[in-house]
Amino acid sequence: MHPDAFISDTIVIAEHDAKNLLAKAGIKVPRGIETREFPAEIELTFPVALKVSDPRILHKTDVGGVKLNLGKAELENEFTAMKKKFPDSSFLIEEMQPHGVEFIVGVVKDPTFGHVIMLGAGGIYTELYHDVTFRKVPINLAEASEMIKDIKSGIFCDGFRGIQVNCNALKELLVSISNITVEAKQDILSMDLNPVIVTKEDAVVADAKISVKLEGDSHLKLQK
Amino acid sequence: MFEYLRNPRTVAVVGASPDSKKIGNAVLDNLVKSGFSGHIYPVNPSYNEIMGLKCYPSLDHLERGLDLVVIALPARKAIEFLDQCVRNVARFVVIIAGGFSETGEEGRMLEEQIKVKIGGSQTRVIGPNTVGLLFPHSGLNTALTPSDRLYYPGKGNIGFVSQSGALGLLVMDSITEHGLGVSGFVNIGNRADVTEVELLSMFAEDPNTKSIVLYLESIADGEEFFARAMEISMKKPIVVLKTGRSTEAARAASLHTGAMATDDRVLDGILKQSGVIRAYDEVELMDYGKALAYQVPPRGDRIAVVTTAGGVGVVTTDLLTTSRDGIKMRMATFSESEKADLKAHVLPIASVNNPIDLTADGSTDAYESILKILTASDGVDGIIAYALPQTPKIDMDIVSALKQAAEKKPLVAGVIGYRLATKILMELERAKVPAFPSVRRTTDAMKALYRYGLYKRRLESAS
Repeated sequence: MHPDAFISDTIVIAEHDAKNLLAKAGIKVPRGIETREFPAEIELTFPVALKVSDPRILHKTDVGGVKLNLGKAELENEFTAMKKKFPDSSFLIEEMQPHGVEFIVGVVKDPTFGHVIMLGAGGIYTELYHDVTFRKVPINLAEASEMIKDIKSGIFCDGFRGIQVNCNALKELLVSISNITVEAKQDILSMDLNPVIVTKEDAVVADAKISVKLEGDSHLKLQK
Repeated sequence: MFEYLRNPRTVAVVGASPDSKKIGNAVLDNLVKSGFSGHIYPVNPSYNEIMGLKCYPSLDHLERGLDLVVIALPARKAIEFLDQCVRNVARFVVIIAGGFSETGEEGRMLEEQIKVKIGGSQTRVIGPNTVGLLFPHSGLNTALTPSDRLYYPGKGNIGFVSQSGALGLLVMDSITEHGLGVSGFVNIGNRADVTEVELLSMFAEDPNTKSIVLYLESIADGEEFFARAMEISMKKPIVVLKTGRSTEAARAASLHTGAMATDDRVLDGILKQSGVIRAYDEVELMDYGKALAYQVPPRGDRIAVVTTAGGVGVVTTDLLTTSRDGIKMRMATFSESEKADLKAHVLPIASVNNPIDLTADGSTDAYESILKILTASDGVDGIIAYALPQTPKIDMDIVSALKQAAEKKPLVAGVIGYRLATKILMELERAKVPAFPSVRRTTDAMKALYRYGLYKRRLESAS
């Protein structure tokens, strides 16, 4: 945790830490490595994505902190350039994900109802269509199913224009995120998993932002 | 405890007055005229007798432990009087006066005193800033508007909680048009003490209440509301009209989820999750409350429609099968043998495909036979039946035909027109068949029933 990550009483967790947290809860994240220096050996399948992973940088794309679809040679060049730009940061090199339907799964603490979980159309469509739905945590699988039915993008679960995706994986992911939120109840202020790429096979969290409330050493509890 | 609110044995009206310009006059008058069978005690040191009732100078002159005290005094005097209520162990106190938190900081400080004064006592306060209570099954009406301006509903099965006083009164006046009643009405006003959740629980316990409708501008305790609503809606349907939909208040907007989480979107999910039906205006609120009070939800989405007007059938089909707020239903299909049975009761030109159009030849007898076939059909989950006044062979017996069918299968009736239609609507209301004066309201009521069924099954399977 970088000391500069403190924004008043909120801490943003670096992407690689956030993904480790999710992976420990059984949620699929891309295969990848976290590193500060360019690694001598990379046991990943190319192409890969290169991202700056630093709690101080919330919107990586806006500052040129994300490069996608890189081959081996491109990766080295881009890494060198990015390292120059963000000399104090850590980096994530991840396998690119197969194409699928993009969703956003999020959590926010509502002042009236407490923690709520959100499902919506992901990627750039979140803000374009506002195709989102909320439930109070914890949720069960039946509630996760209703969330999927609530949003227009849920149609891909039944199949649409030849695209059909594994929505059981998405339901299970929603329930897992709900459980993580409940178990770390005092801590999570908000969470953006965007995009969550859902394919025929599974649901993978391609990007994760989590912010937690600073309460003594409570953030440590979250990372256990 | 709350049974004393809906069925008090004793009621004191503080500030009772023979002067018809005073609120204390209207309250006492409504109470006397509503046929309350318990003891009524006017309280006012200036009079010995009002409306033929002995008037008392203070609560100290009355038995202790009154069930209900209605204070019709201005704000500051009402607060002062609260001491007498606590001292005499009154169970429920209604503070009518406005001039509290709704007016600003000074009023808010005054309202704080309510909590301080009743703190640690057994006295509970409704209001302040409330138009009062109505419990027709107990003959209790403490409303502040004279009955020559507004009608009050009679005994019914809908429990009504309203945060707005005037809207509550106007809605009640409106539903008297076709004779719809309520099991109770409480205007929570500024909600200094008793909250909507406690009243939700009260109506959940009340045997006269079959459905609960709430008009809310805010929710006092979201987590408590959610938990109780989820519990109650498994047993009794709840309908909510919540204002503030246009407020696009976003939070923690550095992340997308926070930016998307407007109050209304969050509330929408919360209501679905807790099995609560959402209404978008005051007409829907009472329509859904009525449908849910009188009918069980259909098990599926296949609806049979019976009409004597082709156009009505077509509009019904359109509205029923297109999505409104995520709910659409299907037109039931009939088997060949069912079609043959149906044919026997209609003119050769009439359609026995769904919607079944009996044409202008349709009679009460034909309705009865057709409804028997539909209630017995495995392919039909619910019925929409129109009782239309333009058809000469339809008489008032249509009401008992619809009633019999409604006891066997979820049925919603539609009646279109004015003079005779109004009579039919009133008779259907008397028979507790949910009936509505437009195609839209009829189909929406059926969708609300279906939606409740979906929610209830999900809640039951989880518990």
